Amino acid sequence: MTTTASAPERASAAGRPEGTTPSAGRPARRRGRSPNERNRPFWMLLPGGILMVLVIVIPLVLAIVISMLDLDQYTLRSWLQAPFIGLGNFVEAVTKSTLLRSIGISASFAAIAAVATLPIGLFAALATQNAFRGRGLVRSIFLIPYVLPTFVVATVWRTMLQPGGVVNEGLDALGIHTGLWLNGPQSYWALIVVQIWSSWPFFYLLVLAGLQSVDQEVHEAAAIDGALWWTKLRYVILPYLRGPIALALIISFLHNVNGFTLPFVLFGVPAPQDVEVLPVLTYVTSFQSFRFGLSASMAVASLVLIAIPLFIYLRAVKLDTGDEGGKR
Amino acid sequence: MSEILDVPLRRPSRSEAAKNARATSKRNADVTRLLPQPLLVTVIVVLLLVVLLPVLYIVFASINSDVSVASGAFFPEQLHLDNYVKVWSTVALATGLLNSILVSGIVAIVCALLAVSTAYVLVRYSFRGRLTFLRALLGLQSIPGTLMLLPVFVLFSTAATTLGIQIIGTRWALFVTYLTFALPFSTWVMVTYLRGLPRELEEAARIDGASSWRILTGIIVPLSWPGIVVSAIFAFLLGWNDVLFASVMTSPDSRTAAVALQVFGATQEGGAVPLYGQMMAAALICAAPVVVLYLVFQRYLVGGLTAGGVK
Repeated sequence: MTTTASAPERASAAGRPEGTTPSAGRPARRRGRSPNERNRPFWMLLPGGILMVLVIVIPLVLAIVISMLDLDQYTLRSWLQAPFIGLGNFVEAVTKSTLLRSIGISASFAAIAAVATLPIGLFAALATQNAFRGRGLVRSIFLIPYVLPTFVVATVWRTMLQPGGVVNEGLDALGIHTGLWLNGPQSYWALIVVQIWSSWPFFYLLVLAGLQSVDQEVHEAAAIDGALWWTKLRYVILPYLRGPIALALIISFLHNVNGFTLPFVLFGVPAPQDVEVLPVLTYVTSFQSFRFGLSASMAVASLVLIAIPLFIYLRAVKLDTGDEGGKR
Repeated sequence: MSEILDVPLRRPSRSEAAKNARATSKRNADVTRLLPQPLLVTVIVVLLLVVLLPVLYIVFASINSDVSVASGAFFPEQLHLDNYVKVWSTVALATGLLNSILVSGIVAIVCALLAVSTAYVLVRYSFRGRLTFLRALLGLQSIPGTLMLLPVFVLFSTAATTLGIQIIGTRWALFVTYLTFALPFSTWVMVTYLRGLPRELEEAARIDGASSWRILTGIIVPLSWPGIVVSAIFAFLLGWNDVLFASVMTSPDSRTAAVALQVFGATQEGGAVPLYGQMMAAALICAAPVVVLYLVFQRYLVGGLTAGGVK
């Protein structure tokens, strides 16, 4: 996203004449209050802002409150009167539920799937970087898995992976005999494979955007030096891609950890225990066993999983171009 | 999409000049080539197979008999085009599609309009809390939906008991939820887009005495159609692809296509062979509008996709 966020920025930076960079010649103007600053149309922020406060911020606070209530289907109607039990739900979630196992499954699944898409996306981008006949078509086809709605992807793979289904038959024909995919320990790998299948094009797009930042001169210099393709890749091209790859890894991880639709539709509920990822566990605790308070404590605990990658992500993204708002 | 991604791509034509250009382009291609030819071909062929086999499978299975799909056949043994007819009466697919189109469509329009006005203020004006607002736009996208589901549900049912407004079970529940959850990303897309617009026109208009509203509707909106289309489509997709909220907050009348498709999973438990053919047909029907949207707006969307990393 830096790439993108910066794509228009780069353009505007390039188009900006010398000397009008924010550092030069602005401060004088900033001191006087321009008419711009006197009637700023804050009311335009209101509709979106109010919605986000009402439906995101307040529920977020509410989630924390509920996580400390003993709330079930009987007390839900008058939830404000539900008994306050402090950290009781958290204690129960950690000691008596499968929360810790689910956190482990979620974290390892998200990390493995994110890392595994790296080489696929990287090589796909490297292979389609140069023009060839039919490249437009190839690129469109590459995006199909990403374009299909997740519930469609999950429904289709569920059909393909069923016992005696097309995947088992196909592998049998190749002499590879495998057991159940939608149940038992192998279901974990089924989840990872399907996640990789549906998300690698995103990695591919970010790397492709990163490749655009490699100048023609760099390619020429490498060619004059007579670098072999892998030497060039390793020492010349990859350094340019470090940023986009790191960003893609973080975003993929966040996306995988929060993913609900794929495991939910692929395995149904109750999920086999090897693929009971945190979002599914939270959902089942709420809407199958109706332990709302307990479920909220699990959901709040899930924030721990995303906190570190989210923090890195927010630090890495350039929020401001230094050319807007206050500088005028 | 190629228009957006390949700057150096040259279009060959018949004239002499073009021939020269083509030669240069060929030379450039050799210089910028990153993989040796055999590896490049292998990568592309393998990936095409990996992508296309499941996609072809959906198409083949949707015109196949249920028994044949259950026994793991890839190609249909006999054509069952009637799957596409029966599917409409087996589940309430038409109602689902209508609900999905209505809710997601209106969400897309409203969300894009809110996003453009919010982004305009964020990009062009300075105020305390602006950076926090921008950071929140990014951070809120990563809040897991499962964390929000329960409190939003409780909030809506509280509104029903205290204010007498029944929200859960109606399309409004989905509309409000999707609109709000689509806003952060759509606004961010518009922020990155508006940053690329020159200020000169706005400033000229301001000197002529135009109000902020006039500037927004008369200058910003007409200039930023590509960005608006992208943020509208992402809002649409968020609604179309959601299963989590729709599975809890809908009644049979307000079910979306995504939930209607899940009904096949539930009817499978009977012991008879599940209706695989119809299920695949329904899956294809649900995917079609989205795929068409992508194909039509591909060149805008690819840039937007990378703008925030949300599906």
